[in-house]
Amino acid sequence: MALLRVTSPHAHGPMSTPRVMQQVLLATLPGIAVLTHFFGFGTLVNIVWGGLLAVAFEALALKLRGRELGIYLRDCSALVTAVLLGIAMPPYSPWWLIGVGMASAILLAKHLYGGLGYNPFNPAMVGYVVLLISFPVQMTSWEAPRGIGEVPGLLDALRACFTPGAFDGVTAATPLDVLKQNNSLLVDNLWASQPVFGRWGGLGWEWANIAFLAGGAWLLYRRIFTWHAPLAFLAVLALMAALFYDGGSSASGGSPLFHLLSGATMFGAFFIVTDPVTSAVSVRGRLVYGALAGLLVYLIRVWGNYPDAVAFAVLIMNFAAPFIDHYTQPRTYGHRKPQRSGGDE
Amino acid sequence: MLGQSISRNSLLLGVFAVITTLLIAGTYLLTRDRIAAAQRQAEEKALLEIVPDERHDNNMLDDTLAIPPGELGLKQPRSAYIARRGRQAAAVILPVTAPDGYSGAIDLIVGVNRDGTVAGVRVLNHRETPGLGDKVDLNKSDWVLGFDGRSLDDPSVERWAVKKDGGAFDQFTGATITPRAVVTATRGALEYARTRHGELFADGPDTATQPAPADSGAH
Amino acid sequence: MAAADYRELSLNGLWKNNPAIVQLLGLCPLLAVTGSVVNALGLAAATTLVLLCSNTAVSLIRNVVSDAVRLPVFVMIIAAAVTCIELLMQAFTYELYQILGIFLPLITTNCVILGRADAYASKNPLPLAMCDGLMMGLGFGIILVLLGALRELLGTGALFANMDLLFGPAAADWKVVLVEDYQAFLLAILPPGAFIFTGLLIAGKNLIDRQIKRRQDARKAQPVKGAKRVRVTGTIS
Repeated sequence: MALLRVTSPHAHGPMSTPRVMQQVLLATLPGIAVLTHFFGFGTLVNIVWGGLLAVAFEALALKLRGRELGIYLRDCSALVTAVLLGIAMPPYSPWWLIGVGMASAILLAKHLYGGLGYNPFNPAMVGYVVLLISFPVQMTSWEAPRGIGEVPGLLDALRACFTPGAFDGVTAATPLDVLKQNNSLLVDNLWASQPVFGRWGGLGWEWANIAFLAGGAWLLYRRIFTWHAPLAFLAVLALMAALFYDGGSSASGGSPLFHLLSGATMFGAFFIVTDPVTSAVSVRGRLVYGALAGLLVYLIRVWGNYPDAVAFAVLIMNFAAPFIDHYTQPRTYGHRKPQRSGGDE
Repeated sequence: MLGQSISRNSLLLGVFAVITTLLIAGTYLLTRDRIAAAQRQAEEKALLEIVPDERHDNNMLDDTLAIPPGELGLKQPRSAYIARRGRQAAAVILPVTAPDGYSGAIDLIVGVNRDGTVAGVRVLNHRETPGLGDKVDLNKSDWVLGFDGRSLDDPSVERWAVKKDGGAFDQFTGATITPRAVVTATRGALEYARTRHGELFADGPDTATQPAPADSGAH
Repeated sequence: MAAADYRELSLNGLWKNNPAIVQLLGLCPLLAVTGSVVNALGLAAATTLVLLCSNTAVSLIRNVVSDAVRLPVFVMIIAAAVTCIELLMQAFTYELYQILGIFLPLITTNCVILGRADAYASKNPLPLAMCDGLMMGLGFGIILVLLGALRELLGTGALFANMDLLFGPAAADWKVVLVEDYQAFLLAILPPGAFIFTGLLIAGKNLIDRQIKRRQDARKAQPVKGAKRVRVTGTIS
């Protein structure tokens, strides 16, 4: 959100918006591959159908707003939103669910606020939250991962999307869900009794998280974003988990490793928290932004009303981003900080 | 001059205060009885859903038994309501709190028949997730009707659990914790009614002279 | 007191100066109780009645009350009207009274009411003040009911459920199920839906206004035959 005027010197990068967006898309590939391996073609169908809809909604909104289609469509931002939302949604979602999500993301969260660069909230996360609170049953039923159930093929995936009802997949509660539902077992027993837990963060989930971490690391290397927000996010999440983990009972929130490798942690850390439009701008700001988002993820995961929390945490922090920017604005070179009570810093 | 205006204004304010107070007092007096009746009717409505009029001839709101906190998961003292036919207690409606909902406690009332079967379960108060856990509310889904007629022998005590935990009761799609809490609380109420059967289903005072509203002004 | 006055008052209350979507007053109840048509209608009726009563009373006493004490007097009148209506609703529509809860007594603090009393009723004769109160109340109420209908429809796929709370047992079967087997869009009945749909209603009103203005401008801008150009910029083609 363009509330803050950052003073010079402005860094100029050689990269244009479309280039950045394309690299982000590229970096999601390992994660998508892992998700597809463990959960079948559902995620791919989500992304392809969602991408078509997102571009169509984007074109519609641009036309209604009297903007030139070509330039804005070519920036790929709608596609990025669609891919991120498609990854976040459960595989084998029906077509209309994806449609409602894309409409909320593109029309409500993006264009009602003035399009790319003016949206205060991350569009993919708005779409996700609208769906989660509106259709909680569909949004919390994940297909059982490979190793527990038979993974449906491509045709089944298409059928699940376009003729919902005809497809009857095997769903299993996600590891975060299972942990929340149990508070009487020792974690070790729980792990042993429930195959969904896998080794660290859930069967399939741990590898998906590692894949998104790899994609994120590549983006870091390409300097698409800086390390501050993701690292602060992960560090605080791990710290909270360590503080509240009592080592044994499943009534506590789960180990730091579990929290880092389960749910949408890595996906959120590298693809959502780093959104340049809706997060804080300055270096210190990004540290604060990431840290608070990590704190919120833990709080909502463990004591909140819904199983995973990245989307809620990010939206709340989107709210706070302009405020954080206000207090972490870097000092202009050669100017002193306005004296308040004598102390400097 | 100033004094005059002050006293004139105060007088004016006083007059308006009197007029408006009279107006409110009049409305209050006119509506008082109706409000009291409506209040009772609303309180009785949930009870009557569990034990309909044809099953009892007393006024349940006046025939109560205090349940101290600690029993049935209650945090505050509340009343059990007793439905009688003549002197014999036909059913007891117990207040129950399930402490372990997905987001906090769930307040229920559980009707238990004399023979130990469930007369009905209703959720009075909850903060469960909309669309998931809130299906325990009869407004959202008729899941709670599944308890009607069940008892501690049907299914057996150890099968009083949701299917996921190896029990006999369906959890509903998308939620496990909430139905689990309600099933456990209902079982607790049935067990309470079994151990306290003599006390809960004791015969009422001799009301050969018409079951007029008792004078136990518990309310 | 021409008919034009009344038309102007109606237009103001219902559209141009609508309390809910133009003045943005009384938003708290607007957002809180519009989950269904029956709730919205209950609060709309109560608010309209209070507005009508307070405007009437204030207009009647406008020449008696001095400027110094006018606000306390107005507040007393409004509070009395609200309390009476609250008691009446408690007596006749008890369950609805329970659903509306704190938002009934809070009508007292709805800025529309004191605003109209002070800005209009205290300066105008009885019939006009009554008309103003009624129209402002209706303007507020229509938005309330519209929002309630929109949210109930999207959130449950049906309309007019539980109307018996307001109209007695005869209305129990007024419920119209528009979409069978509807996949409830819960966002609409949850609090965020109230904000989103209020925003959309405001946007819709602005859009209509802009269309009207554009049409009027287009009509005005039609060249008059024989008009001379006074100043020309650029090249004449």
